[in-house]
Amino acid sequence: MLPTLNVTGSMLLVERISTRTGKLRPGDVVIFRSPEAPRKIVCKRLIGLEGDQITYVVDPQSGDRCETIVVPKGHVWVEGDYIYNTKDSRNFGALPYGLLEGRAFWTLLPRKDFGPLTPKPE
Amino acid sequence: MGEWSSFTAVVRGLCLLYVTNKYLGTVTITYGPSMLPTLNVTGSMLLVERISTRTGKLRPGDVVIFRSPEAPRKIVCKRLIGLEGDQITYVVDPQSGDRCETIVVPKGHVWVEGDYIYNTKDSRNFGALPYGLLEGRAFWTLLPRKDFGPLTPKPE
Repeated sequence: MLPTLNVTGSMLLVERISTRTGKLRPGDVVIFRSPEAPRKIVCKRLIGLEGDQITYVVDPQSGDRCETIVVPKGHVWVEGDYIYNTKDSRNFGALPYGLLEGRAFWTLLPRKDFGPLTPKPE
Repeated sequence: MGEWSSFTAVVRGLCLLYVTNKYLGTVTITYGPSMLPTLNVTGSMLLVERISTRTGKLRPGDVVIFRSPEAPRKIVCKRLIGLEGDQITYVVDPQSGDRCETIVVPKGHVWVEGDYIYNTKDSRNFGALPYGLLEGRAFWTLLPRKDFGPLTPKPE
């Protein structure tokens, strides 16, 4: 999630109200239970909600081939900010909404990053 | 002082109820034909425990409840057929013949099926279920009274 989060560790404040009420928007940083390792909590950025059409680069290290999909009902699409080294929806597919745990909205540590989480850098 | 102590008693009772509900077990009401004859069409009240799902001690044949992958506010009740790594052979569409397919359950997922395969939406429709969506294991039927008792293994 570079450059948004720190490689060696960030402490984030997470709220669960947006996920429970369904008021998430693309661009939010969310945490969720990994679909491949159910005891692991993962942090990525929400790119698309159900019904959205997503165009993504399949493998940034091996060219620019893109694919377009529509996010199925009850699912969301998440991607890491650092697309060259991330396991996200491009690997495990659309994420069922029920696996979302919360929305990260504030960085506590490291001190230099203290403040609200920024939208995805272009 | 009397009102304050009863207020704290109520708060403590609610906290205990919340912790029990979240970590130990809960009661769920099911309806629908997908788990006939195990569960009642018009409604069954089941006792659900959350310890097996948290510790990972589920076994094929258990009746589990989970958050639907297509409707995240809905809790669904089906039978656990396979764990990750298991090879599952299933009838794709029982109403239109006997065509079978075989798949291996991916890592971090489980395979669930309803007992009444002619009218059920289960892993045959939405695919393997991520383990993180499981909410608990149903082990006892409370209502209707005639079904009171432990949930039975899948009828052959």
